[in-house]
Amino acid sequence: MLRLVKAESFKLSKKLKSWLGPLLIMVLVLIAFPLSIDISQFDLDKFYFSIIIVSLLMTSFVATEGMFEEDFEDGSLEQEFLIEKDFYKLVLSKIFVYVCLIGIPIAFIGALFSFANGVAIGSFAKVFLLLSLSNLLLFNLFAFGNALSINKGAMLGVLSSLPLALPVIILLGTAVRSIQFGDGFAAIITLMIGVGLVMSAIMPLIISAALKTHID
Amino acid sequence: MKLLSAQNITYSINENKLFHNLSFEINAGEGLHIKGGNGSGKSTLLRIIMGITSPSKGLIETYDQDLNISYLGHKNAIKNYLSPLENLKLLFNDAELKIALKWLGKFGLLDVQDELTAGLSFGQQKKLALIRVFTKSSELIVLDEPLVGLDKTTAELFSGFLIQKLSEGVGLILTSHIDPMINCKVLNLGGKNAEAS
Amino acid sequence: MLMLGWTWGLLFAPQDAVQGNSYRIIFLHVPSVIFAELIYFFMAVCALMHLVWRVKLGAYLIKSAAPIGAMITFIGLLSGSIWGIPTWGTWWQWDARITSTLILFIMYLGILTLHGSFSNLEKADRLMSILVVIGVVNIPIIKKSVDWWSTLHQPASISVSGGSSIDPSMLYPLLISVIGLGFTLISLGILSSRSYIFIREKNKRWISENV
Repeated sequence: MLRLVKAESFKLSKKLKSWLGPLLIMVLVLIAFPLSIDISQFDLDKFYFSIIIVSLLMTSFVATEGMFEEDFEDGSLEQEFLIEKDFYKLVLSKIFVYVCLIGIPIAFIGALFSFANGVAIGSFAKVFLLLSLSNLLLFNLFAFGNALSINKGAMLGVLSSLPLALPVIILLGTAVRSIQFGDGFAAIITLMIGVGLVMSAIMPLIISAALKTHID
Repeated sequence: MKLLSAQNITYSINENKLFHNLSFEINAGEGLHIKGGNGSGKSTLLRIIMGITSPSKGLIETYDQDLNISYLGHKNAIKNYLSPLENLKLLFNDAELKIALKWLGKFGLLDVQDELTAGLSFGQQKKLALIRVFTKSSELIVLDEPLVGLDKTTAELFSGFLIQKLSEGVGLILTSHIDPMINCKVLNLGGKNAEAS
Repeated sequence: MLMLGWTWGLLFAPQDAVQGNSYRIIFLHVPSVIFAELIYFFMAVCALMHLVWRVKLGAYLIKSAAPIGAMITFIGLLSGSIWGIPTWGTWWQWDARITSTLILFIMYLGILTLHGSFSNLEKADRLMSILVVIGVVNIPIIKKSVDWWSTLHQPASISVSGGSSIDPSMLYPLLISVIGLGFTLISLGILSSRSYIFIREKNKRWISENV
């Protein structure tokens, strides 16, 4: 397990494109959006959060795209299968590494921008926690979509995993409202942590089955 | 000592039969050379033997639950955005790395060990992939067309290595159009109902 | 039977007090959205059959049911939109049920695309079944989550146990429409799955012997 986490983080850190790319896209969208419309600062505050959420969705999709493609194409999946007999550990460590190296930085950027756009300083930690957790969920879901479509391109990935991701987005919307009005936040975070744990345990099983089908 | 036996293996893709009722077995220290024309299912058979692909009918039985298999297929499982050295570091622990580096020297790859693998020639990449097979200790070695793209010296080095492994009691299964110069049983998939001879 | 339900509903049922004649699209809308989901659940059962017991028929049935499901979901959405214009004054609203039906439609498309993109059909069957099973877990989650938004739809007006808030003169043709559409879809399903099974099993002996 440790071997896999090490290997995956080393690989990802060497792939600057897949690692830094999503982070830059996130920053770009968050900067570009306010510039692209001509509204007063007051109005922007109202829905800037939605922009953060949508770019979170986009970037986490971009980040997970090709998560398994490379290992599938160059035959690493077969080698891994010969060692472990399934992909549970591989998938678990891959998602873990991706969330740590990409998901959490994205969440940090999102929280930073929300803070710059009128969310009280006291809520920074809340927003950061919220976005990190939702990234954990999104990465799991998109990893699944990715494992299904593997090398068949983004369209298939979107079609198969977007329906799964939408509830997360809706949950996020509710959570943001709860931060702004200051109630019910603890309940939502608890829910997200619970769902996140369950999903992190189960999703790799399903993804592993899908990957096994691919190399079959 | 028996390593593995195959009983009545049949495999079909989209309802088209690739091969039918194959049975054979591999003992420790024994080699099996699978022959056959293009598309006769050699690679698929190897994958079935390793348990990656499941056969449509039949059974592969391994006598040791965690039979250690080294495999090199058409895909090298080499990361081309890493250097050869980094690739080896990903694969091996410190003790194994020493052996791997020795092979790196024998294959003449030391000069390029810090360049990106993507820039290496096909043969060089193949050698790098072979190092994995040469370094990992295993009870069964499975190779799919290992000699393609190798120069003569490397091919000789390679045959020598395999002969030595066979004498150490390691099982070997390979497909090759080029004669590997190793004593082994032959399984021909050329026609239907092929049998081990 | 579908014909009977529709004629009755469209020609003879009385006008709705509030909505006038436009409500008559209910006889298309309600049955189609009901089956949009029922077909999905049917597919989920088939997917389980296919994954757990390796029944090939399960995958064949999913593959034949999915286009029908996608079609009927689309009809449901379209008729809902048309109905929405006179009653809500807008053809689209990001309301809970519309959204979840739309997502259902996307899921159907996803399943179809997934199966279409692999040349090894057995592989495609398995992956498709996995997606269908995950999707069926997703449906209630989507329902619950979109329910948090305020909804425009009227609450369900037919309940099995208690009385219903809809007048019998409208209810009966509606029920008949539902059952009629059900039969229509089942026969469609049988037709398409029959031809699909033939295509997939064309090399097997039983077909050449019996056809």
